[in-house]
Amino acid sequence: MSTAREQILSSVRAALAPLPERTPRPVFSKDAAEPQWLAAEADSIALFQKRAEATGTKCFTDIESCAAWLRSQGVHTVYIPAPLTRLASLCAEFCKVTSEYTRACVNEIDAAFTPAAGAIAESGTIILSDKSTPDRLAALAPWHHIALVSRAEIHRTIADALSAMPDDPNLIWVTGPSKTADVEGILIQGVHGPGAQACLIL
Amino acid sequence: MAEQKVELFARNLDHGVQKAVRSNSAAGTEKRYSVLGNDYTAPDDLRRLAGQIRQHAIEHLDTYLEQAEQSLKRQGAHVHYAVTAEDACRAVSDILQKAGAKKVVKSKSMISEEIHLNDHLGSVGIESVETDLGEYIIQIDGDHPSHIVKPIIHKNRRDIARSFEREGLGDYNDDPETITRRARVFMRDKYLQADAGITGANFVSAEGGRLVLVTNEGNSRFCLAAPKIHIALVGIEKVIPSDAELAVLLNLLGRSATGQQLTVYTEFINGPARTDRPSGPREMHVIFVDNERSKILASDCREILRCIRCGACLNVCPVYRQASGHAYRSVYPGPVGAVLSPLLAGKNFKQLADLPKASSLCGACNEVCPVDIPIPDLLLKLRNRGHEEHAPSPGTPPMGAFAKLASSPMLWRFAMKSNKVMNLVPLEKLPLPYLQPWLKTRTLPEWRGGEFRTWMKDRRKK
Repeated sequence: MSTAREQILSSVRAALAPLPERTPRPVFSKDAAEPQWLAAEADSIALFQKRAEATGTKCFTDIESCAAWLRSQGVHTVYIPAPLTRLASLCAEFCKVTSEYTRACVNEIDAAFTPAAGAIAESGTIILSDKSTPDRLAALAPWHHIALVSRAEIHRTIADALSAMPDDPNLIWVTGPSKTADVEGILIQGVHGPGAQACLIL
Repeated sequence: MAEQKVELFARNLDHGVQKAVRSNSAAGTEKRYSVLGNDYTAPDDLRRLAGQIRQHAIEHLDTYLEQAEQSLKRQGAHVHYAVTAEDACRAVSDILQKAGAKKVVKSKSMISEEIHLNDHLGSVGIESVETDLGEYIIQIDGDHPSHIVKPIIHKNRRDIARSFEREGLGDYNDDPETITRRARVFMRDKYLQADAGITGANFVSAEGGRLVLVTNEGNSRFCLAAPKIHIALVGIEKVIPSDAELAVLLNLLGRSATGQQLTVYTEFINGPARTDRPSGPREMHVIFVDNERSKILASDCREILRCIRCGACLNVCPVYRQASGHAYRSVYPGPVGAVLSPLLAGKNFKQLADLPKASSLCGACNEVCPVDIPIPDLLLKLRNRGHEEHAPSPGTPPMGAFAKLASSPMLWRFAMKSNKVMNLVPLEKLPLPYLQPWLKTRTLPEWRGGEFRTWMKDRRKK
């Protein structure tokens, strides 16, 4: 393999050597790609809610209305990680509650709560990391996923979030439910991932 | 006169397919336009900035590629290099065989199409399932994608329902929602059974050592959530300096491809699972693939390596809309494909040298390109190269007589003046069937050849 490496790197060097000058690295401000409407949005939390709803992510600001929504959705089994006892007792009124997520129950659990590592107001995006969501499948396989977003961790812009990436093998930005328009351009939600994406802002 | 192959394909294209491609492409263009216009006062400035970012990156690939390798290794990933398509295929199967992997799930990746990975894996007895809905349908139909972002733009729901019925995914049902649910159930088992997940990468941040991967369906996430080995096939040109550049590139990619501010899932992969973060694949392999890219970098068409595969130039192109993606006879269709495909063909350049001619040079592709690639200029350069290499050129009108005329001032003057005789010819009576429908609704202006020269001469005298 090292020979392939040498071969490619030397062809790249040879390709670039004759260039009389190379394009310098452009200097641009952090807000270069911010949408023009962003400046008028003073409150990042309100902006996050607005943008999230626009991409199809439901936002809840209290546990009761979130639980009521799950009840209205006819959820059977919900995964709620250990410390959220009040939420668990509310959900236990209408469905099975489990605090363990295993491979064996991937198709059984149809709703899951996992803590987010943050959010982005500009785009209504939820940020998940391996630290916050210890099993990637828990946030992906159930039809309903509810991310627990802490107000203090909402970044204002995409650029802000990019400059504050935590040390983690994997980060995923979730902007709305899983989608496809492959069949005749018709939008369908819930292809592989959640068909109903939500967040509970705490 | 012989016809260009793209033109011939367009003429024989099924009318329904043509209509679907045209309306779906037009909708894509509209969406992109309204989103960019709504969000930015000067979207062209942003496109130019993104173009500079990408141009800088490819012109410093010698630095960034090595830096990316080091960063990825530091995070615990294995880094491999593959010179040719065959080398890349072999690198993948070597990793899989070494791990005893028999089943693989794949997330959509253009480079895996380019190297025909599925065929290779099948030939060594490894089951490889495409997980993107469109790509899966392509796979079970033994077809090829006809659009970079919308692979089955050329198929309708009835085609798909028949394929699903044939594959045993249920009785005939052409409701798009039902089709999608059936794919969800089918894929679920495939993900959970798979030994490895194969993905591409939209960007590689050299400084951060991250692969960035975007999907709307969430299939790439599943490929990295269930299996224990991750293999990423990455074209060497995908490297960018750092995470900061992503703010510009991601904002343009989603809007240009599908009119979304961001694609639903944007994943940043920074390495394999760790003891304190055990969820992801335990092994991560990144294969940097050259496959003619370093030669393109050495050519005068290197700007095409800026491409971020959004498909906006396909959507806007009048030729693509009329001819559809398969007319381009290669993995990359449309304007970007007309440049990239002949170049990637390497020694077989001549076989695809007609593609750069399948363009009216209207420039729309350049105007929508999120990284401002001067596609029309590149098409002209490749037309020139085709001419120099004596590539066959069907459909090109013979220019011999005109060339003679235009290169002799005396003959030219004579032709200009003597053509006044045209004003006396009753054109509608000429036995030229091609001309008659045109002449029914239009007349030719009066021939005034030579008058400009006379005017110039008089003006100089004054």
